Amino acid sequence: MLKKNNIFTISVFIVLLIIPILFDDFYINNISYFMIWTFISLGLALIWGMGGILSFGQTAFFGLAGYSFAIISINFSDIYAVGIWSPILALAITAIFGAIVGYFLFYGGIYDVFIGIVTLAITLVLETFMAQTAGPEWTVGNARLNGFNGMQGMPLIGIKIGEYKFDLQGIGQYYFIVFLAMFLLWLLYKIKKSNFGLILLASKEDRTRVESLGHNVKKIQMITFSLSALLAGVSGILYTNWGGYITPSSMGLIASAMPVIWVAASGKNDFFSVFFGCILLVYISQTLAVNGAQYAIILMGLILVIVTRYFPEGIILMLKKLLTNKFLSKK
Amino acid sequence: MIILFNLFYQFGDALSFLLLAAIGLAVIFGMMKIINLAHGEFITIGAYGTVVSAKILKLPLPIAMAVGVLVTVIFGYILERIIIRHLYGRPLDSVVATWGISLIVSQSFLVIFGPSFEGLQTPLSNFQLGAYSYSQYRLLLILISISILILLYILFLKSNFGTLARATIENPKIASTLGVKVDKVYTVTFCIGSALAGLTGAIYAPTMTIVPSIGQAFIVSAFVTVVTAGASPFIGLIPAASFLSLIQTSVTFYYHATIGVLALLFSVILIIRFLPKGFSGLLIKLKK
Repeated sequence: MLKKNNIFTISVFIVLLIIPILFDDFYINNISYFMIWTFISLGLALIWGMGGILSFGQTAFFGLAGYSFAIISINFSDIYAVGIWSPILALAITAIFGAIVGYFLFYGGIYDVFIGIVTLAITLVLETFMAQTAGPEWTVGNARLNGFNGMQGMPLIGIKIGEYKFDLQGIGQYYFIVFLAMFLLWLLYKIKKSNFGLILLASKEDRTRVESLGHNVKKIQMITFSLSALLAGVSGILYTNWGGYITPSSMGLIASAMPVIWVAASGKNDFFSVFFGCILLVYISQTLAVNGAQYAIILMGLILVIVTRYFPEGIILMLKKLLTNKFLSKK
Repeated sequence: MIILFNLFYQFGDALSFLLLAAIGLAVIFGMMKIINLAHGEFITIGAYGTVVSAKILKLPLPIAMAVGVLVTVIFGYILERIIIRHLYGRPLDSVVATWGISLIVSQSFLVIFGPSFEGLQTPLSNFQLGAYSYSQYRLLLILISISILILLYILFLKSNFGTLARATIENPKIASTLGVKVDKVYTVTFCIGSALAGLTGAIYAPTMTIVPSIGQAFIVSAFVTVVTAGASPFIGLIPAASFLSLIQTSVTFYYHATIGVLALLFSVILIIRFLPKGFSGLLIKLKK
């Protein structure tokens, strides 16, 4: 039997599964691009919506994963199945880096707005650092870091078995992202219902009280932070793979505002709303950017201000609740 | 002797940059517990106000700077009235909303004024000491930053407004039952913070390339200084800025500027790990 909460999720995924039958490659690639950004948003929803910890530096993990993937796969492009283990290795690096940052934040006793500032400073410093690596002395093995122009020419995610070769692109990439998103949404719901998730949710309300009940809140927050870094890393790697490049500006001030806007506008407390709203908002800003990227950014800024001022719950979540109450609730 | 002066000059330059970048943010954060993420854009407004009135309206530089500060204060006032005042007591939301404002402002500047704007010449001349040449204007900046701190100290500790403001930080509810107009105190504080940010933009405008992202040059320095200053930025600001500029100057002196910035960030991370309440927490502890 279907639970009524799942109706939206299931119908959206059915539509996503049918789309390749109806549209051509150009649209499929675009929709893949929109969906790539959902992972970093889901990570932010996990740490912000569930944990009450607002990180402005998710793009640091996005960039770190993208760059690690590029550096590893360029350097070891001859070794067997690099297209499989290089993204995994890059994800591991990102998760470890996330855990280290999380350790410094939570065990250092930093909370509230300070976390936002420290994480923002981290991503901006990474951007500044990568942007000045234009010179030939900045190479890792065979990989030139290329400063502001960013890195290109990394092998695709994929595998070659004998004659058969599979690269993650086009329709294969599309279905991979859809199934990955389905799996991760399911996993996040499981986490939310688990003991771990309940402690995290409770710590958002009152950290000291949860600690006095004997739970190690710092450890749980550190693990959650690392998980959210991992999710941002998934976006970073898929983005690098999709476009074949990664640049320092993906860690800049404007880039790091975007996930916060998508998550805040969609509804940070509900993973499905974040997933759906993120696709919608990336689509809108992409369409607007055709007429000039700065107008799209002004609109996103406006959305952020209006949502926090008038709809702190998030627009998509609000609409979802409205629809549920109107059509699905039994009187 | 010359090396000593050179070090003093570098240190003073870095210190006044950190102090001026952080001071507006520190006033707003210290009084209202709101981190204004649009702080960099307030500085941008101050810089553009100055440059536009000096270049297009042909005003003399000091008056142009006053115009820059005035424009920033008006902007801050309107913003506080329309948006910020509804977000008191929701610190995370106020951060997010000011970030939205920051995006709107910086992109609007890009649309209106284009990717770069004709800059001003640095006023005053240079002087020679040994093999090095120094800018008198930058020495003046060091003096300005110190005098601003002294003025703020007098304003918040000696004036009538200071008493009301400190009562409001201590306990807004009790202050308002005693007849303090808490709303007005917040508005005035926000305007003071905006004025300081605008002033920073105005006095640094002649030394920098005028681009819409000019505020971003200040924002990381401002944040790290306020973070290391800790929960009471008024006490911690000077030690935090001195310590950070000492590290930055000495590392830059021996290596180069990028490594200096990285050393700055690394020391910030270490400081907050071992002094989570920042320098103000340390000072308060030492006093007890």
